[in-house]
Amino acid sequence: MDWKCPVCSSLNKDHLVRCACGHEMKADNRENNILPPASETHEKQDHPGPGQPGELALVFTGSGREYFRVWVVNLCLTLLTLGIFSAWAKVRKKRYFYSNTTLDGTPLQYLGEPVPILKGRVIAATAFMIYYLASHFFSSLMPFVLAAGTVLAPWVIVRSTAFNARYSAFRNMTFRFDGKYTGALKAIYAWGLIPAIVAGWIFNWYGKYPAAAVLFGVFGLTFPWWIRRLKNFIVGFTSYGNKRGEFSATGGQFFKVYFSAGLIFIAIIFVTSIAATATYAFLKNPQILFLFSMVPIYLGYVMAYAYVQAHSSNLVWNSTRLGPLRFASTLSACGLTKLYIANAVAIIASAGLLIPWAVMRTLKYRVDNLRVLQEGGLTAFQGSETSAVQAAGAEMGDFFNMDLSL
Amino acid sequence: MSDGAFTLHGIYYDGRHPVGAQAELLFTGREAALTAADFSGRYYARRLLVSPRIGRADRFINLPDGGQFQCADHPFLASLPQESRSEGPVAWLEERWGVALAGVAVIAAILLSGYFYGLPAAAEHLAAKIPIETEQALGREALAWMDSNKWFRQTSLDKDRQKKIREGFEGLISNLPLRASYRLEFRDSHFTGPNAFALPGGSIVITDDMVKAAVSREEVLAVLAHEIGHVELHHTMRSVLQNSAVAVAVATVTADAASLSAAVAGLPALLAQTKYSREFEAEADDYAFRLLRQRNYPPAAFASLMERLEKKYEKGQHALDFISTHPSTAERVKRARASEPTR
Repeated sequence: MDWKCPVCSSLNKDHLVRCACGHEMKADNRENNILPPASETHEKQDHPGPGQPGELALVFTGSGREYFRVWVVNLCLTLLTLGIFSAWAKVRKKRYFYSNTTLDGTPLQYLGEPVPILKGRVIAATAFMIYYLASHFFSSLMPFVLAAGTVLAPWVIVRSTAFNARYSAFRNMTFRFDGKYTGALKAIYAWGLIPAIVAGWIFNWYGKYPAAAVLFGVFGLTFPWWIRRLKNFIVGFTSYGNKRGEFSATGGQFFKVYFSAGLIFIAIIFVTSIAATATYAFLKNPQILFLFSMVPIYLGYVMAYAYVQAHSSNLVWNSTRLGPLRFASTLSACGLTKLYIANAVAIIASAGLLIPWAVMRTLKYRVDNLRVLQEGGLTAFQGSETSAVQAAGAEMGDFFNMDLSL
Repeated sequence: MSDGAFTLHGIYYDGRHPVGAQAELLFTGREAALTAADFSGRYYARRLLVSPRIGRADRFINLPDGGQFQCADHPFLASLPQESRSEGPVAWLEERWGVALAGVAVIAAILLSGYFYGLPAAAEHLAAKIPIETEQALGREALAWMDSNKWFRQTSLDKDRQKKIREGFEGLISNLPLRASYRLEFRDSHFTGPNAFALPGGSIVITDDMVKAAVSREEVLAVLAHEIGHVELHHTMRSVLQNSAVAVAVATVTADAASLSAAVAGLPALLAQTKYSREFEAEADDYAFRLLRQRNYPPAAFASLMERLEKKYEKGQHALDFISTHPSTAERVKRARASEPTR
């Protein structure tokens, strides 16, 4: 429970032992990795010491009631300004998520600013308009749009990942992503499958040579390896302090995740169609049967989707190392399915008013199922001039500094 | 506090290692003095920068030397320089339940009035400004695309029948504002069945099955009058504009929930867009009935064709009327008969 300071009467969070005015609530010492005041000791206590296994507590403290107000105010201002405020709204919302996720007692800090986000959104909206017009009305322009999209995609991945890393901070040190365009190009277009598929569209191979559709089959089968390369690129070029992420998952592990999800979906379709065939004879109106069999099939889709979300997320976290830190993610397909269904029902029944509650629940579930394991002291991370929070603000004005993620 | 001194208690991060030290920041006059385990520093208070307030979360104070001081939110922090000027007032709004409730009312008012009045009116206004040549280019391109992708085969109607229908069609459009832009196209399609549709700019396609389903020329002309209504009222352009605006609005409102479940975001957009579509169909119907009466054709021909098509092709779908793109046949038939001139 939160507590009210008896001296200055400001509200303090549960995990805080001391109010900002100095009044102390609990006598016990604060979290790990925080040195006691100067008067008590001069020795560094970097618990748990190097080499000792330990865990950094990861806690989500966001509340649905509080986030409801943030959500309503920002949505309202976004609508009143015909969408321009959405960049400011994104900052407020991300700030709320970050500030309410504490690692080892310290909240994460979001440093993104609205103008680069607005810039990114204007560019994304223009690109989407061009795509929409070309795909619906000017099909002769479509090849050029597709070609431009293929050339720009690696740049978009690099820019958006770099923005998110650069403007995320923990304990006065920002993350960093230094992947380059050529690296992204190699990661997503190696083997040439995607360029070949796009070329197929541009030169209309699928109309002329039906055999070209084999490309899609090959891409579908090798998709898990493609995902692995992409994640490997992102984790491998993300760093904190002077430590780069290391990624050890294999394409085979990703394949297992997608394959199992596919099996779940197929099994549910199979059972549904057997049940539907069995009851067909007893029904007068087959259209009703069609409607009723859509429900389990949609449920199967949600379950398969939740399975992929849970297990690929687990795989990514559990295969990632960052200096002395390892991660243990324990999301379950069942838990996520229940969460999705409850969220959907609540949102529809409340005409959208419970969206903030659903968002908080989902974030809490994800954070509750992630553990940060520590093998060695945090002093292994070394910051520099450029990693301090203050340095991040200076680059905000760069022309290409923009947020292209949605 | 009598001499203006104030102490903040929190944690200091030097930015070199992610390890904090319990610290105090003592404000006296224009100066702020930091004392931590193995670090102390003195700064001008006006050179500090405080992170924006959000909920009840801790605040961060950036120190001029690159260090950072974290402490719980406190009213005193309002007297220091703020990192973001724009976020302060937003934070003030976010803290008040009254503001939130008013916000819900404003959001509901904007969405509902925009949906029922603003958007249709704006789309009508804008669509009328799009030059008909642009619409024609779009329509021609769309038909060429459908033909090249084998949606249709050549019509198998005999020349005589085509000619009769064309003559009737010319009579219908004879003094309409867009009369120069119309093109009537006959096509055979085995998978769309009896169908007729208008493309932007005046190309109207009618399938052989539709012509064959009609028992008289009046019935064919009734269908064509409906499609003429779509063209004259710029329905394609209006629906593109309205549907995109709905999609953007729904995406904005459900932005947070979109990743939770696609159904949550997709359903309201579908419901909203099909309602617009039904309104356009009803509008085109009314236009057609007026046009037919003017040219001395019976609107009841529309009713008899609709009834025959329903008997043959769609049986008992009434449960799904609310997500249908067209008004129910019973309603369209009723309106057609009602607009029959009384003799």
